[in-house]
Amino acid sequence: MKIILVDDEKKFINMLAKRLSLRGLNADVAYSGEEAVEKAAHTPYDLAVLDLKMPGISGFALKQKLLEMQPEIKLIFVTGHGAIDKNGDHSDDIFLAKPLNIDTLIETIHQTIHPDKQ
Amino acid sequence: MIRTPQILQKQEWLAFLFHRHNSHLASFHTFSNYRRIWIISIIILAVTSLSPLVMATFINQRLIRQAVDSELVLQTERVTSNAKRSMRFFLEERLNALRFIVNELPYYALIDNTHLAEILSNLKLGFGGFTDLSIIDADGSQVAYTGPFNLEGKNYKTQPWFIRSIESDNFISEVFTGYRDVPHIIIAVRSINALGRIFILRATLDTQRLMDTLLSYKTNVHTDIFLMNHTGVLQTPSSTYGKIFTHTHLDIPEFSTRTNVIQPENLSDNAFVTGYSYIITEAVTTPFILMVNKKKSVVMGTWLNLGQTFNWIIGISCLVMMIIITLVSTFMVNKLYLADNTKAETMMKMEQSQQLAGIGQLAAGIAHEINNPLALINETAGYLKDLYHYTDEHQNDEEVMENLDTILEAVSRCGTITSQLLGFVRQFDVQTSNVDVEKLITGILRFHKKETEYKGIHVTTEIAPETPAIETDRGKLQQVLLNLINNAFQAIEANGCLDITVSHLPPGHIFIEIKDTGCGIPEENLKRIHEPFFSTKKEKMGTGLGLSITYGLVKKLQGNIRVESSEGVGTIFTVTLPVKMKKEDKT
Repeated sequence: MKIILVDDEKKFINMLAKRLSLRGLNADVAYSGEEAVEKAAHTPYDLAVLDLKMPGISGFALKQKLLEMQPEIKLIFVTGHGAIDKNGDHSDDIFLAKPLNIDTLIETIHQTIHPDKQ
Repeated sequence: MIRTPQILQKQEWLAFLFHRHNSHLASFHTFSNYRRIWIISIIILAVTSLSPLVMATFINQRLIRQAVDSELVLQTERVTSNAKRSMRFFLEERLNALRFIVNELPYYALIDNTHLAEILSNLKLGFGGFTDLSIIDADGSQVAYTGPFNLEGKNYKTQPWFIRSIESDNFISEVFTGYRDVPHIIIAVRSINALGRIFILRATLDTQRLMDTLLSYKTNVHTDIFLMNHTGVLQTPSSTYGKIFTHTHLDIPEFSTRTNVIQPENLSDNAFVTGYSYIITEAVTTPFILMVNKKKSVVMGTWLNLGQTFNWIIGISCLVMMIIITLVSTFMVNKLYLADNTKAETMMKMEQSQQLAGIGQLAAGIAHEINNPLALINETAGYLKDLYHYTDEHQNDEEVMENLDTILEAVSRCGTITSQLLGFVRQFDVQTSNVDVEKLITGILRFHKKETEYKGIHVTTEIAPETPAIETDRGKLQQVLLNLINNAFQAIEANGCLDITVSHLPPGHIFIEIKDTGCGIPEENLKRIHEPFFSTKKEKMGTGLGLSITYGLVKKLQGNIRVESSEGVGTIFTVTLPVKMKKEDKT
C-alpha cells in the first residue's frame, strides 16, 4: 500500500510519516500541493492524506488534480478547522480533525482502502 | 459571560402592570412607562368621548330650563291677561249700565225709591253683583236708596269716595267696609239733572261676585290670583298674603297699561313668577292691580324630575363608558406592551446572537491557529511514545510512558475544546443539501466502532422504511448527531444499550430519537444542560459547549430538541427536523 501525506507543516508531516512507518504503513511526504502533484506523476498511490489549507494548491484543488492523474486514488482530508463540516461536492469525502488520533487515522486508512472489510 | 435569553413574561392580561424592570431588556423597549401610557390613554379617551356627552347634557338642561321658564312666563301672562280682561269687563259692564240709566231716565224717576228698586231688580237680573243703588246730590246727601241696608238719609260729604266721585264722570272705588261694615266696591256715575244740579248714581257691588270671577282663573293650588290696590293692600283674599285688607308689602309694580310678567332672579323652590296688570277701563282707571303668582318649583317639578332621570341615565352611561374605555385601554396597552416586549426580546436575542457570533468568530480563529501547533505537539509526543514503545530500550520505563500519555491526553483535551469552539461559530451559517439520515448515522457510529466493541455496548439503529432524504445543513446535522451520540457513549456503562430510531411524520417532519441506558441527567441539571459552559463532566474533559451548540444547531435547522431523562435509567434525546427547511430562515 502506497500512501502520500501532504501538508505544509513540515515537522508535523514528518512525524506523522515516521509514526505510520512504525505501524507498518510506508508513506511519502510532500510539503506542498505542487510537490504532491510532481510525486504523483512518478508514483502511483493508493491513498493521499491531504491538509485542506495550504499555500499554493489547496486541499480540494489537489484532490481534483490527483483524481485526474490517478482516478483510483483514495483521499482523506485533515483539517485544523475542527469539527467535520461537509457540504455539497465534498459530502462523500472523509475528514479528520487536527490534532489527529493515530489509531483513528490508521483505522480510517484501512476502512478507506478496504471498505468491504469491517 | 453570555446570558441565555430568558422568556421574561407570559402572554398574560395586565402584564404591563406587573412589569418588572429588566435592565437588559429596558434599552430595547420603545416605551418605558406603560402605566403612564395607560393612564394617559384612559384620560384622553375619557375626555374626548365623555366631554361632548357632558356638554350636550349641560346644554340640554339649560335649554329645558329656558323652555320651562318661557312656558311658565307665557302661561302666567295668559292667565293674567285673561283675568284682567274679565275684571275689566266686569267693571266696565256695570259702569256702562249705570251710565245708561242716568242718561235714559229723568232725575225725578231716579229719586223715586220704588222706581229705583225696580231698576236695581232689573240690574240684578241683567248683570248680577249689584247690592244696592242710591242717588246722592252734590252736597253728599243720599236722596234715594234701594238695597238691603238701612242707609237712607246718610250724608257722604266727607267720605273719600264721594269727594273723588263728584270730581269725575265715572268712579270705581277700592274695596272698603264703610258704614255697612261689609267689604264692597262702589261704582258711581256723575250727571246733571233738569235743574242743572250735579248728582251721583251710586251702586254697590258685591265683592263675592268679583272674587268668584277672579277665582275661576285659578287653575291649581299653586297659582295665587288676587287684586291689590296701588299701595299694596289686598282687595281680595290671597293664598300667599292672607285675608282681604292685609298689606302685602310688595313692591308696587311699575305702571303699565299692558300685562307684564316679573321673573325672580333666584331659582329657589319658593320663587314666584308674577304676572300683573293695572285694571283700566275705557272710562276710568280703577284702583286695582291684578296679581297672578305661580310657584316656579311646582310648575317645573315635572321637568326637574325628567331632568333628574336624564342625569341618572347620563351618569350610568358615563360609568359604562368609563368601564369600556378602561378595558379597551388596558387591552390595547397590554397588547402594545407584549408586542414591545417581544420586540425587545427579539432584539436582545439578536444582539446576543451577534455577540455570540462575534465571540464565536474570535474563538474559531484562535482555535484554528492553535490546532496546527497542537497537531505538531501531538505528533511529536506521539512519535516519542512510539519510539519508546517500538524500541526495547525504554519500553518498561513507566515514568516516561506516563508523562507522554499525560501530554497526549492534554493535547486531546485541547483538541476537543478547539474543535467545539470551531463548531460554535458554524451555527451562524446554514447551507442546505439533501441528506440521507441513515448514511449519516452509520458514518458517525463507525467512529465509535472500537468503543462499542470494547465496552460491549449494544447498538441498534432503526430507520423507518419510508423516511425521505431531508433537505438540511449536512454539517450541522452531523455535528448534532455526533454530539448526541458522543454524549450517549460517554454516559453508557459497559453492556449498556444505545437505540437510535428515525421515523417520519408525514408530511413535513422526521424524528430522530437517541436513547441510551446511561447514567441519566439529574432533574436540577435538565433545565441547564443547554446553557453554554454548563458541564458536569469537568473531570472527563467536558467543556460545557457540546449540548449548548447542539441546541443552537437544531434551532438553526428549524427543528426542536427535547430531552427526557431519569437518573440511573437513561436519557432520550428527540430531535424533530423539517423534511425541507424554509428558505426565509436561512441566514
